[in-house]
Amino acid sequence: MTTSQPDASVHVRDLKKQYAVHEKEPGFMGSLRSFVSRKTKYVEAVGGVSFDLAPGEVVGFLGPNGAGKTTTLKMLSGLLHPSGGVAKVAGFEPRRRETAFLKQITLVMGQKQQLIWDLPALDSFLVNQAIYEIPDEQYRATMREFTEVLSLDGILKKQVRKLSLGERMKCELAAALLHRPRVLFLDEPTIGLDVNMQEAVRAFIRDYNERYGATVILTSHYMADVTALARRILVIDSGQLVFDGDLARLAEQGRGGGKTVRLKLREAVSAAHLARYGHDVKVDGLSAELTVPRAEVSARAAKLLADLDVADLTVEDPPIEAVMAELFGAGERAEKEVVGG
Amino acid sequence: MIRKTRVLFATRFAEMAEYRAEVIIWMLSGTISLVMMLVWMAQAAAAPGGQIGGYDGSQFATYFLSVWLVGQLLVVWVGWELDFMIRQGTLSPKLLRPLDPMWPEYAAHVAERFVRIGPMLVLLVIFAALSGASFTRDLWAYPVTLGLCILGFTCRFLYEYTLGLLAFWTESSTSFSEVAWLLYAALGGLFAPLAFYPQWVQNIAVWTPFPYMLGLPAQVLAGKATLSQAGSGALILFGWVIFFWFVRLLVWRLGLKKYGAVGA
Repeated sequence: MTTSQPDASVHVRDLKKQYAVHEKEPGFMGSLRSFVSRKTKYVEAVGGVSFDLAPGEVVGFLGPNGAGKTTTLKMLSGLLHPSGGVAKVAGFEPRRRETAFLKQITLVMGQKQQLIWDLPALDSFLVNQAIYEIPDEQYRATMREFTEVLSLDGILKKQVRKLSLGERMKCELAAALLHRPRVLFLDEPTIGLDVNMQEAVRAFIRDYNERYGATVILTSHYMADVTALARRILVIDSGQLVFDGDLARLAEQGRGGGKTVRLKLREAVSAAHLARYGHDVKVDGLSAELTVPRAEVSARAAKLLADLDVADLTVEDPPIEAVMAELFGAGERAEKEVVGG
Repeated sequence: MIRKTRVLFATRFAEMAEYRAEVIIWMLSGTISLVMMLVWMAQAAAAPGGQIGGYDGSQFATYFLSVWLVGQLLVVWVGWELDFMIRQGTLSPKLLRPLDPMWPEYAAHVAERFVRIGPMLVLLVIFAALSGASFTRDLWAYPVTLGLCILGFTCRFLYEYTLGLLAFWTESSTSFSEVAWLLYAALGGLFAPLAFYPQWVQNIAVWTPFPYMLGLPAQVLAGKATLSQAGSGALILFGWVIFFWFVRLLVWRLGLKKYGAVGA
C-alpha cells in the first residue's frame, strides 16, 4: 500500500519471526550423521510483539543479547519477512520493500558498512544521491549540515579503508541519512566508539530528530545512548515485550519499586543497623547505600538524618543498568523450541 | 535513470581500477583456450595433410584465440559475490536501498571490461603474432561479434546471478556455478569447436545458450560463420536473456522470503 504523505508512524501488532536452525553434533561423526540426516529445529526469535510509535517519537529498544531486538528492526525495515502479525511503517508494509518505503527509512547496523571500501566516502554519498534521486540542492545542503555536525571535513576524500572506526561510523551515519529518512532504525549506532565519539553521534541523532521530526527506534548496549535520546522505552526479552513505558517508570520498577539512598557518614555504622531503614544495604567505610520504598522516602530520610551522624544524603532512582539487570535476571531465558525434528 | 547509470558505472570503474593488477593476473589465469590451441595445433601439424576436421594449425590458432577473446568479455563472478553476500549478511545494506542490487553488480562487471580491454588487446596482438592466427577481414564481423558478446555476457550474468541466489536455500551455491562453468566451457567450444563433438552432443548443445555465447562469436571472428548464422544466434540468445530474466526475478522473490539477514 502507498500513501503520498507518509506519517512516519510505526504500527506493530503481534509480530512474529521463527527461524529454522540446523543442528550438528561436533566432530567427524557428527558431520557424518548430519550428512545423512540433518536435524532442524525452529527457534522463535520474536514471539508476537505489539506497539505503536507516533511520528517524531524516539524510543529506546532494550533487551539482552538474542532477545529479538535486531530481528524486530530487520522486520520493520523490510529485510526479514515476518512469520506472522502485522507491521506498518510510515503507512507501508515493510516486507514489500516498495521504493517509496525505502526512501522513507534507514537502518544503521553498527559497523555494517554500506560505504564502498576502496573508495573515498564521498563516492558512496554520490551513489546514494543518484539511487535516492536526491536533488543537487538538497544534497549540497545536507552535506554541508552533516559535515558541520559530524565534523566530516578532511575525511570525506580519504579511502574508507583508511579511516578510523569512529570516522567510518560517522560516514556510515551520514550515508544512511543522506536521503533524509523519516523513520530511523538504529541498531547499536555507537558500538565500539570512544566516549567523545559516542557523544557526537548522540548529539547528531538528537539534532536530526528535532530538525526533521524523524521517528527513531534505537537499540544500544550503552545505557547513556538510551537515557540521552529516548523518553520511552520498549524492553524485549525472549522475543516478548516485557515493558513499554517511559524511562522514569522503568526506573521506578527497579529495586522493587524503591529509591536508592546514598549516605556519607561521619561515624561508621554496620550494615545490620542500616537494614532497619531499608533493604539491599551496602556499606563501604563511611559510605553506605540502601534502597527504601518509594512512598516512604521522605520519612525514612528524615529518620536517617535524625538517628545517625550524616554528612550528606542523596536520593536517586536506581541506575537504569541495575533496573535492566534486574528485569533480565528475573526470568530464565530459554529459546522456545516450537517444533523439533 | 541516466544519472544512476552514469554514477554507478563511474564508481564501479574507479573501484575496479583499484584492482587493475588483479584483473590482469586474473585475465592471464583464464587461458585454458590457449592451452587447447597449442594441443590442437600440435595435433594438426602431426596429422596427414596438416589438418583435422578442416582446420589447419593457423585456423586452430585463430579459433582458439577468438574463443579466448570472447571468453574474456564473458567473465562473470556474480555467483560467488552473491553467495558471499547472502551467507555473510552483507546483502542487507544493499536491500535497504531503492535499487535492485543486481544493477550495481552488472555495472561492476561492465566497468571491469573497460579495465580489462587495454591489456587484453595487447596480449591478443602478441598471441596472434606468435601463433599465426589471422582474423576475418569482413568488417561486419566485428560489430556483430561485439553484439553477440553483449548478449552472451548478459545471458551468462543472469544465469550466474540466479545460481548465486540459490545460497538463500543452500549452505553454498558456488558448486552450481562450477557445474555451469563446465557446461559453458564444453558446449561453448572452449576445448574444441562444437563440430568436433559427437552428433548427439551437438544436438543437445543447440538447445542450450552456450554455443551461441562463446563458439558462435568466435567463429564469426575466425570467418567461419555467416551473417545469417550470427543473426539467428543473436535471436536465440535474446530469447535466453528474456527467459533467464524472469527466472531470476522469480528466484529473487522466493529467496527474499528465506533471507535470514545473518549477522547484519
